[in-house]
Amino acid sequence: MHLSPKYVILFFLLLTLCISCTKDIDFDQAREYQFNPVVESSLVFFNESANAFIDQGAEVEIVQDFIFIDFFNDDFIVDNVEKISFNFETQNSINRRFELQVDLYDEALGLQDSFVVIQEASSDGQNEIASHVEVFEDERLVALKNTHIILFTLRLLPGPNIDETTSGRIELKSKAVFYFEIKDVAL
Amino acid sequence: MIRLSTFAILFFWFVSFTQNKQIIYGFSEIPQSLLVNPGGKVKNKGYVGFPLLSHIHVNAGTSGSTLYDVFANDGVNFNTKLQSAAYSMSDNDFITLNEQLEVFSGGFAFGSSYDKNEYLSFGIYQELDLINYFPKDYAILAIEGNQNNINRVFDLSDLNASFEVVSVFHVGYNKKVNSKLSYGVRGKIYSSIMNVNSTRNRGQFVTVPGKNNIYDHVFNLDLAVRTSGVQSFVDEDSSDERLKKITNRVLLGGNLGLGFDIGFSYNITDQWYLDGSLLDIGFIHHTKDVESYEVKGDYVFEGINPIFPELEDEQTADDYWSEIEEDFEELFNADTISTNYTTWRPIKLNTSINYAFGKQKEKDCNCIKEDVGYINRIGVQLYAINRPKRPQVALTTYYYRRLFKGLRLKGTYTIDSFSFYNIGLGASFHIGGMNFYAMADNFFQYQNIYNAEGVSLQLGFNYILN
Repeated sequence: MHLSPKYVILFFLLLTLCISCTKDIDFDQAREYQFNPVVESSLVFFNESANAFIDQGAEVEIVQDFIFIDFFNDDFIVDNVEKISFNFETQNSINRRFELQVDLYDEALGLQDSFVVIQEASSDGQNEIASHVEVFEDERLVALKNTHIILFTLRLLPGPNIDETTSGRIELKSKAVFYFEIKDVAL
Repeated sequence: MIRLSTFAILFFWFVSFTQNKQIIYGFSEIPQSLLVNPGGKVKNKGYVGFPLLSHIHVNAGTSGSTLYDVFANDGVNFNTKLQSAAYSMSDNDFITLNEQLEVFSGGFAFGSSYDKNEYLSFGIYQELDLINYFPKDYAILAIEGNQNNINRVFDLSDLNASFEVVSVFHVGYNKKVNSKLSYGVRGKIYSSIMNVNSTRNRGQFVTVPGKNNIYDHVFNLDLAVRTSGVQSFVDEDSSDERLKKITNRVLLGGNLGLGFDIGFSYNITDQWYLDGSLLDIGFIHHTKDVESYEVKGDYVFEGINPIFPELEDEQTADDYWSEIEEDFEELFNADTISTNYTTWRPIKLNTSINYAFGKQKEKDCNCIKEDVGYINRIGVQLYAINRPKRPQVALTTYYYRRLFKGLRLKGTYTIDSFSFYNIGLGASFHIGGMNFYAMADNFFQYQNIYNAEGVSLQLGFNYILN
């Protein structure tokens, strides 16, 4: 077969197709990345019968305890959380109003924030239900991020005495909702 | 320190490399075709590859979103593009990266002087291989969090990646048994320069409505990353020392392994032939500079009961909380272990059926001119590679043409995990003993390389004795 130069030309034309072109690409956009995950986590809970408030036959009106917690001042939380909310759900079938006071302290035992979750009494033994939300933004969020110690105080407010025969329970469930804004994170 | 944006660029560098060498496969004028089929047809008496230039191979592809999808300068919000890329991909989408550089190679025919039907070829090449599956569930968790995903089971096995740099010392033997059958085998010694792999992860994370509290967070973790050759490299500050380490590992000082390739070609008739090969049946045993990390354990977190913790034990709320903190630490702290491990090389299969036609006709009888046989060939090739999750398969049809004595062309059309419209073209130039070959695929995607789902380039220079 006679080979005409047109084959060669055709071949080199095809080869030039190989020269790669690019369209407009901007890698700097990567700096704009931002994730906004919302993470929910169980927080504190209790579920106790009226008897739990009796110690050696006497009624205990205040129960108090504390925890050391480094979670809220973890660097990742401090740098990337824009808002936190605590959502509480309470139930009460005891004829006594109760309240849970939560005090947030920094390392030097300086009080940073304080709030109270209130649950009304149940006069008829039926479950009283309530919910409560604490939102931490701006200054309150800074206070929460400074927190190293949380003091929990559970109070039974004045009302009919509790003894071995008192029926009913109090219950509290809660979750924390973390609103993240994750930008340029150093790995 | 790596900024996450840099990491994101690397992560979304979805133009990457695969290992299919569909153009060079069966291109028997090019000596390096013996690397994809040690039992292929041999068309020369000997050859020497130009050191470092005899075979350069990069091969790029993504089964998921392309760089252009994410980084196009089109005014669309970057996060919108990033998220739609993440949502459009599945955990079976992957990026792979394969690169080979021949350090040197050569070969010669031997046997009885009138019929040199045996051929020995040898060389050293360096290879880099990466596959990274898209960790879909991790991405969704990072983008959305768990709030809108209560009861959704996040599958932690979505993390699946392996990376290896090896140097390969090889010697191949090819024998033409008769006019119909040739076979060949190639022995390989691998020296692993660096290996990182995390391919056997299991476990899940799920948030479900709880009994005692609003949620139970259920962690079931069985994750591991195995590395060899990385730690001492990272710890070494001096770049001279690093270079020394690499040189030493290239020259069989790394973690060693053994493997082999086998192949054959069989002429069914004068015009039809069948061939096939299995490559990299082998393993590497990692014993030096091994460091692996494991995160293993089960845990259910339901929050804390600060007021009435275990009243009987007189445990304080803080004791109780500390216990939970310790449990978490134990769960998430990676245990560093240095157990030896073995990795298998990704086995590759090539096979093809071919039909040659169209003898060169002379206007006048020219009895001196050599008979070059058929100048056209068409065929179908199948390629498969064993990968951590599942094999990847590619099907190629091709047309080969001997255009001049000095120029052979092969055009391919390939269907694979990356695309259904992959056109490739290869050329081998022969001027005297000099041979230069160049081949590339995915031609139609070069108009916008960033939008390419796969690109592949191979080129090299040889000196061939005919």
